[in-house]
Amino acid sequence: MSASTDKTTALRLGLLVFFGLALLTAIEFGIALLVNFWQLLLLVSLFKAGLVLYYYMHVGKLFQPDRDPDRESYAYKLATSRIGLWLFLISDSFIFGGLLISRISLLGLQRPELNQYLGLAVTSVLLVSSFFMNRAEMAMQHGDRKQFVRSVGVTLVLGVLFLAGVLGVEWRIAPFGPSDGVPGAVFYSMTGFHAFHVFTGVLFLIIVLRNGLRGRYSPEKHWGVEACAVYWHFVDVVWIFFYPALYLIGTVVR
Amino acid sequence: MKKFLSLGLVRGLFWQMLGTAVGIGFVTGVRWLMKLEAWKAEPAVVFGALIGALFFLYGVGAVDGWLKWAAGEETPEHVDESGLGWRRYFGTSLDHKVIGIQYLVFSLILMSVGGSFALIFRTELAETQMQFLSLNRYNTFMSLHGIVMIVSILLGIAAFMNYLVPLMIGANDMAFPRLNAFSFWIAVPAGIILLSSLFLGGFDTGWTGYPPLSARAPLGMQMFFLGVSLAGFSSIFGGLNVIATVIRMRATGMAAFRMPIFVWAALATSLISLTATQLIGLSFQMVMLQRLFGLGFFDPSKGGNPVLFQHLFWFYSHPAVYVFVLPGLGLISELLPVFARKPLFGYRWVAMSSLAIALVGFLVWAHHMFTSGMAEYLRVPFMYSTLLVAVPTGVKFFSWVATVWRGKISFETPMLFVLAGVIVFLLGGLSGPPNATVSTDLHLHDTYYIVGHFHDTMYGGYIFPFFAAIYYWFPKMTGRRADEKLGKLSFWLIAPSFTVMSLLMMRIGLLGMRRRIADYDPALGFQPFHLMMTVCAFLTAIGVLVSFINFIYSIKKGKSATGNLWNSRSPEWQVPSPMPAHNYDRPFEVVGEPYDYGLPGSRYVKFAGDKE
Repeated sequence: MSASTDKTTALRLGLLVFFGLALLTAIEFGIALLVNFWQLLLLVSLFKAGLVLYYYMHVGKLFQPDRDPDRESYAYKLATSRIGLWLFLISDSFIFGGLLISRISLLGLQRPELNQYLGLAVTSVLLVSSFFMNRAEMAMQHGDRKQFVRSVGVTLVLGVLFLAGVLGVEWRIAPFGPSDGVPGAVFYSMTGFHAFHVFTGVLFLIIVLRNGLRGRYSPEKHWGVEACAVYWHFVDVVWIFFYPALYLIGTVVR
Repeated sequence: MKKFLSLGLVRGLFWQMLGTAVGIGFVTGVRWLMKLEAWKAEPAVVFGALIGALFFLYGVGAVDGWLKWAAGEETPEHVDESGLGWRRYFGTSLDHKVIGIQYLVFSLILMSVGGSFALIFRTELAETQMQFLSLNRYNTFMSLHGIVMIVSILLGIAAFMNYLVPLMIGANDMAFPRLNAFSFWIAVPAGIILLSSLFLGGFDTGWTGYPPLSARAPLGMQMFFLGVSLAGFSSIFGGLNVIATVIRMRATGMAAFRMPIFVWAALATSLISLTATQLIGLSFQMVMLQRLFGLGFFDPSKGGNPVLFQHLFWFYSHPAVYVFVLPGLGLISELLPVFARKPLFGYRWVAMSSLAIALVGFLVWAHHMFTSGMAEYLRVPFMYSTLLVAVPTGVKFFSWVATVWRGKISFETPMLFVLAGVIVFLLGGLSGPPNATVSTDLHLHDTYYIVGHFHDTMYGGYIFPFFAAIYYWFPKMTGRRADEKLGKLSFWLIAPSFTVMSLLMMRIGLLGMRRRIADYDPALGFQPFHLMMTVCAFLTAIGVLVSFINFIYSIKKGKSATGNLWNSRSPEWQVPSPMPAHNYDRPFEVVGEPYDYGLPGSRYVKFAGDKE
């Protein structure tokens, strides 16, 4: 009984966070249309990133004391793996930070000329996928395999949809090519690096889905699912900063 | 023959060739299908080299564990490799000691390659005008000397971090053994790709690869960029592993301020290589994209800015020199108390100084760019932040001097190298502030003075401590002692000749000799100095060669040394040499301070089951 209440609470929290993120994205879009202060956009992005880091990526788990001090135990090794994954994410965020800084240095308060609605659409797709990823992880944590498989499947489809939206549509309809000046360079490199990470995330999801269908994960042992979820949310956090940087800030380069 | 073909390395190289061919064929095929001109060398070769590196990793077996995991199979935690004998050094091994030695050997190989490049262009410089090298060849050798040595240094520090950190903290392996093997093996195809630039037109930018020159250099430039980017992954994942290991795997009782200084240094180094390395990779990949697809980051005609490259590049490449020297300085602090039989002076300050250097190191990069045309107002803040690095470095020197002060010093080979390291690093350190000060740097920038300063810091902070460490831990690795006579001969060949060479570099640099150029005006009167430097370079090389001969000879024929040869307090010396396969059969507990040499009744570690 209590396990299922836990599960309901966890799912409800995930949904609540998702609504918060969606609302903030709408506010972000509104700010960009109406006043376009970059400070406000940055503030909203930071807030969104904080929500994802805390509620979806469970950064707090890193600071939990060890339940089992035995070095060979699963719990101890799991905590070590978590630290390793987060160190990797810190490292990876430097490459995205470098891209952002290059973009700011080269374009300042200008942005490439892009389709606003498409941008909002792919952002929403990624956001919804993050919600389902969280749902999948919570389902596995509470032993609901059916829901887990379903949610991972939805995440996977949304991830592919995002890739199709960015690489298939946005790259095609953009009014500039990669070699047409700095806006093109910035846009194609930022979306390209990000899309590569989404692509590896999709591969990761396929592996997790396959192993999940074969029943490799249990509520006690599902590091693969957790790592995949944290990685997927990280890619989402990157997009939380890239989206305003590419689509919202400042004025369009003419 | 069959045994030879089953070696991981041989299989990896075969797969790399195959992968390169597949990659080249793929790009050519796609271009043909798109009805473009089918053969275009640059995209085909770059893609081929990348695929070749990935195929190498598959062939050598570095990704086997992960592939198995992805396929949902069981992956055992410990693999028994004892039946393989010497052959496990040529394939994917998960043992941190094996990986450490693999790193070490590969580092020494690259060091000899990079050193030979230096000898070649040094010989050319001994006389004015061009003797036997073309200008392009000179530039290629000069550039490759820089980058090959840097990769060699990265591998060398990784060697000792891998070998020593788990031993010193009482762990049985690194936190992520598979990632550890991957980190090593990705460096091998990276090194091959890097060296292949020699045969693909070379490149002439120096190791910094500044655009716009690097945007139009020959194809070899791309191999340089790709090789360094791949080698960067080795550094990133190696750093990640060390940090996780130090956080999670320490023995009972080893509080932060009871860790050996080398572990502190490894931690500080890894923090830099984990994070900053991404930026050099990014800056190089941006130039690669500019060359391949015309992205205009650094092309002013498209609105780009070449100075941005320098910012991204130096954001890694300045902290990188602390990556190179911090482990070496840690080794100096590690060995001085052993040979002076005295406690390390100011342990806590030395430990924190490594972290301080690493953190301040992130804020100093633009001192390489005082003449680049960057914003004027950036100069002075970067000057002061750079000069600030001298403070924690000074803490280390103070500690070293105070440690050997009135100690019972014995001058075995490792101690000689350590002392030379201290002195040469002092030369390098003292010649640094003039480069950091804007007014003097405007004159010294791009002269041989910089070259002399840099070689002093690298020899003092890396080469000498590195050789000291090899001589010191050689018995731990092999169970035999490296020959003392040959060791001392090697030392007396390297140390004086190198010092003379670096001082001469600084001298002619102050007089106006430009760095990186193939020829100089005879009227400047530098020719005799250049000749002396060339002679010194050859003497140094002979000294290194003597050490190599010594190592090869001593592995088989050296005096047996299975006990605590140096009377060290460090835990790895409390068990017999060579190190047992699973490190510590009995776990130990830390019960005292690490460097209390000469204090009666003190002990650092207590093994389970030891008598009181």
